[in-house]
Amino acid sequence: MAKKMPPEYYQCLEEIQALDFVLVELNLYLDTHPNDFDAIQQFNETAQMSMQLKVEFEKKFHPLMNFGRSYSNYPWNIDDSPWPWQV
Amino acid sequence: MFSQYKYWKPFVGPFDPCKPIRVKSYNTPPQLYMNFQPPGLQQFTPHEALMSGTLWPQLYSPYPDPHKGGKPHG
Repeated sequence: MAKKMPPEYYQCLEEIQALDFVLVELNLYLDTHPNDFDAIQQFNETAQMSMQLKVEFEKKFHPLMNFGRSYSNYPWNIDDSPWPWQV
Repeated sequence: MFSQYKYWKPFVGPFDPCKPIRVKSYNTPPQLYMNFQPPGLQQFTPHEALMSGTLWPQLYSPYPDPHKGGKPHG
């Protein structure tokens, strides 16, 4: 039987995806509004939340990024499935 | 409040070989009506923003046209 991922795996991923989308939007907004203090504050808070979610996800499931952007378990599992397009 | 889609009726001649398209539409997204985005606009929640494609409800433009069978997502 192929490896199946638990439902909270997908919930965590979707949360991370939602926060990262908010970060993209805020980043593009701040490119044209450099002095908007509230937006910068929200950007930094969201960035911190996104990092925390990624750290928790990597503890629970598997590393998200390669080339040193994520820690690996033993044995090496950076190249384990599911790959991003297989999720 | 502006409308997201504008409709017009093209001329339909009696000798058209194909089935005429009676009503045609074009998209007028919100950014056409917004000069420079003001700070502090109302925002969606992260999940809603992901589903509707923008962080600000004022800039949300549904595609395809909900009135022509396009189901609005999110």
